[in-house]
Amino acid sequence: MTKDFLGTIKHRVVLFDGGLGSMLIAAGLTQREVPETWVVSKSDKISEVHAAYLAAGAEVATTASFGANRIKLQSSEPGRKLDPIKVNEKAVEIARKAVERSGKHDLFLAGDIGPTGLFFPPVGTLKPEEARAAFKEQAKALDRAGVDILIMETMYDLREAVEALRAAREVSNLPVVVSLTFDRKPRGFFTMMGDTTEQAAETLLKEGASVIGANCTLQSGQMIELVEEFRLVTDAPLIFQPNAGRPIMEHGIPVYKQRPREFAEDIVKIVAAGANAVGGCCGTTPDFIREVHSSLIHGK
Amino acid sequence: MQAFLDSCAKSVLEGDADKAEKLAREALSKKYSPLEVIEKGFVKGIHEVGRLWEEGTLFLPELVVGAEAMKRAMGILQPALTKSGERPRSLGHVVIGTIEGDIHDIGKTLVATMLSANGFEITDLGADVSALKFVDEAQAKGAGCIAISALLTTTMSGQRRVIDELKKRALKDRVRVMVGGAPCSDEWAREIGADGYAGDAVAAVTLAQSLMGAR
Repeated sequence: MTKDFLGTIKHRVVLFDGGLGSMLIAAGLTQREVPETWVVSKSDKISEVHAAYLAAGAEVATTASFGANRIKLQSSEPGRKLDPIKVNEKAVEIARKAVERSGKHDLFLAGDIGPTGLFFPPVGTLKPEEARAAFKEQAKALDRAGVDILIMETMYDLREAVEALRAAREVSNLPVVVSLTFDRKPRGFFTMMGDTTEQAAETLLKEGASVIGANCTLQSGQMIELVEEFRLVTDAPLIFQPNAGRPIMEHGIPVYKQRPREFAEDIVKIVAAGANAVGGCCGTTPDFIREVHSSLIHGK
Repeated sequence: MQAFLDSCAKSVLEGDADKAEKLAREALSKKYSPLEVIEKGFVKGIHEVGRLWEEGTLFLPELVVGAEAMKRAMGILQPALTKSGERPRSLGHVVIGTIEGDIHDIGKTLVATMLSANGFEITDLGADVSALKFVDEAQAKGAGCIAISALLTTTMSGQRRVIDELKKRALKDRVRVMVGGAPCSDEWAREIGADGYAGDAVAAVTLAQSLMGAR
């Protein structure tokens, strides 16, 4: 049975989970590994992170497959040892089991797709068809392994996001969430390549995205204005997953100074500004999601 | 002459490498001073690219093609400059790389490109560079500055090791250290004893100029 994600997001706010990579680093992921290494070799650690987020109130388990496209894996020493299809299948299996074990119903399994890490010309030499092929392989593996939705996150180039989206549409009928990463410049919000919220909304919706929005780069407070900007240009469902502030080193350990409470207060404003789905990105933990969960419940 | 210099600047601003190269050759055939053409023409263009990038009018693609046009023109003018005995203001030598254990090199390469386009001599060591290698290279090249990128909270402590190594070899006063990368900040630079932090490629140029006394 396909769960009705789009039906749900249309009538209430859906709470996604928080950052995975920064949780794995805290759990001991070393500089000689990529998170996908752990999908294969330390699945229990990933499983624990999923379980903690679900217990905190997240309604979505996002698979640990952010860097599991063939191009991204090929670009790092530890990644080259991994088979993209198997990593994606395993990541789904880990998340699915965590969902089953949580004992909760109406949870969604989101197949995570991140950027290739390479660039199209003139910045780099990546060809659109190469990106498309890698995304197709990944989207197909995630779909077949049984996710409920596909989510593309931290896309820094609208053109690459479109390739990922088209790839997904070719091999899957699942709802697709596309989240770009925007930075704040004196002249407004732009992706690294200069894409605006208006261009992003128009292009992604035309290409068949079900939900659009932004994650990473910006901290929760900075993201509120971006939500307002998006809401001005579209009526479509929107998702926002900010970072937990910049890490400060204390005695050699990265510490995120922002407290879950402040983050949750910003998320309430993000929802008020028009977000239909929220979650956290780098530096957020189950404590952040728990705080958001309780703020959203009490806010209603 | 001013119109010629303006078109040099414009070729960089528009990221037209072919035009930049053509203008550089034209400058030589017309026996213009290479130094003047560089400093009052092409360099003005790359500065404008940097300014427009910071305010959010130009973005990464324009920055990359602008720097490429700049490099093409410099490739023609630099040899002539050396031959004529004219010397550009010496901006100094920067050894740059991403720290050990960290394979992110997009930001670092961009900084290297912008520093080079702005007249610094660059030795780019690539990614996953050990603290020893940074210092060895800086010593071998007589570099006045080391620029270290770290994109992970787990690798940024390597930046401190470079500074420790400089201190060990009593080079800390002679070699300036600048740091960059997502988890870094001014506070981090202060904490580890670096001479400065730059948040992007344009800020890195400004920082290098101030650290190396070029302005």
